[in-house]
Amino acid sequence: MTSSEKSFLAKHFSHVYVEKEVLSHPVTIKILENLRSSQIVKIDNYKEVFCRAGQNYSLQEKSKKLILAKKYREFLYPGPSICHNFGYDNFFYTSNILNCIYSCDYCFLKGMYSSANIVVFVNIENYFKEIDAILKNQSLYLSVSYETDLLALEKIVPFSSAWIEYAASKQNLTIEIRTKSANFKALEKLKPQDNVILAWTLSPQEIIEKFEHGTPSLSSRLSAIKKAIENGWKVRLCFDPILATEGWKTIYEKFLNQVFGELNREKIVDISVGVFRIPKDYLKRMKKAFANEITAFLYEELENVYTYPKELKEDMIATMISRLEDFLPSYKIFVV
Amino acid sequence: MIYIVTAFHAEAKALIEHFGLKKLYEPSKFQIFSGNDIILIESKEGIVKSSIATTFALTKFGAADKDIALNIGICGARENTFSKGDVILCNKIINHYSKRAFYPDILIKHSMKEASIESFMHPVKKDSLPLEIEGDIVDMEGAGFFEAASIFLPLHNVHCIKIVYDFLDFEKINPVEIENLIKQSIPHIESLINSLLKLNFEFCNNTPEIDNIPLLVNKLKNSLHLTTYMTNELESLLKDYIIRHKKLPDSIFEFFEVQINSKKEVKNYFDKLRKILLS
Repeated sequence: MTSSEKSFLAKHFSHVYVEKEVLSHPVTIKILENLRSSQIVKIDNYKEVFCRAGQNYSLQEKSKKLILAKKYREFLYPGPSICHNFGYDNFFYTSNILNCIYSCDYCFLKGMYSSANIVVFVNIENYFKEIDAILKNQSLYLSVSYETDLLALEKIVPFSSAWIEYAASKQNLTIEIRTKSANFKALEKLKPQDNVILAWTLSPQEIIEKFEHGTPSLSSRLSAIKKAIENGWKVRLCFDPILATEGWKTIYEKFLNQVFGELNREKIVDISVGVFRIPKDYLKRMKKAFANEITAFLYEELENVYTYPKELKEDMIATMISRLEDFLPSYKIFVV
Repeated sequence: MIYIVTAFHAEAKALIEHFGLKKLYEPSKFQIFSGNDIILIESKEGIVKSSIATTFALTKFGAADKDIALNIGICGARENTFSKGDVILCNKIINHYSKRAFYPDILIKHSMKEASIESFMHPVKKDSLPLEIEGDIVDMEGAGFFEAASIFLPLHNVHCIKIVYDFLDFEKINPVEIENLIKQSIPHIESLINSLLKLNFEFCNNTPEIDNIPLLVNKLKNSLHLTTYMTNELESLLKDYIIRHKKLPDSIFEFFEVQINSKKEVKNYFDKLRKILLS
């Protein structure tokens, strides 16, 4: 964004909408301490703001607002079939934040919600309570950064550290915190946990510049990963989604060389690889709000999911796998 | 187009003069002024009248997505944290009776204070203030205006701007004083309008080819006798094609002069067109 654009747009979180019920919640108080110059607007229910008719998603992305709310009932959801369970049986995800501070053209959240604003369910203690009950009977593999990028928001909403601290005392719980953030510093003081996987989504710099607006560069993500590994954290790399943009073979080849030229491959726990895919209804909604290379591609539909035509998809996966196997044993590579 | 809704002429007068608006002498139940891409309508007092006037103006003059609607007028403040003449951009608008709350999308910087407003059917005085009131300021139009305007326009283009006139202890309103207060608030209003215009212009613009799509689709719809379903599909296919290829398909112009004699021909031509656009 240029400085002239910045000059008339309200900054992100210029407004914080707070459900009256959570006004005095400790997490709300902490968040508002970090946003002292924001306008606070009291609301009854987050849906009044988040689910309004007439919102312009692409414009809201220029000035995202924060909505603080209380979550009721369902705290965990079964992992969807288009995501990988990495060999864990009880794969669940949880969403105590909806929407992301970044703006990636391919992100499914753009088809999922009618608003670009970010909802934080501040009652994280209720999530923990629900998981406590489940862990009495079974183990759990939990993706905690599924509909957001928790680490990217850590300065304002310290939920990554809250999840890590919670997981530290739970033997049969494994959590994955997936991120594009370079903000490892926020976790540096924490003790690495065996049952916490920090998963970085990596893309070639060309892809970042073209499609991953507002995200850190590849080199800063790699620096953050190096520090995390040095500090003893378990790190997963996610090459997902791979995008079929012009010259993708050369772009991804160069990218893999850079990644494994900089990272100690033996310290990588595993890797996930997947091409762009999106539920049919989400793409339909994305098309209404955005017109770009991602939404206009001629995808093929398979069981209500749009993805690349079979031949192209196979070529992309095969190319990636063949190169990845030069760096890592195949049992560490998971293909979606 | 910028639509401005005021309740009284005293609220409108300074705006009419500043923006150089002229009275429209078409038969209407409302006083309407226009000029320089601005329509100003005087609704008279109350939630319902404001809602009716807003609907009338936005319908009569054909509201489009990039149009802006503003409700400008005086209000009463509950607390002395405000001063007379404070210009307030409302971030929450409550209908006191239905308890419905409306939230404009404030995506741009502005020079005004912000507050929540609650709209009543009657003038509210301090000694008769209901206990369950939530708004920082009160008026008699905001909720009616906002509910109506937000049906036609996206939420970032609909705003209520209120100027503090009293502290709910007034006896009689003074039209000259109102006119002066509105006049003083014009720089804030004008700056908001300019930022909204910039927002809509800079971030809602497509490529020139995509902007031409409705015209092209209409031409093809007429020449090929397309159904509504086909027309919608054609619009979407054309848009995607232009994004992929950065231009229109050369062969599309052949379809403008086609003579159609049967439904079967419509289908055949449409299938041919679709095949081209799916390349």
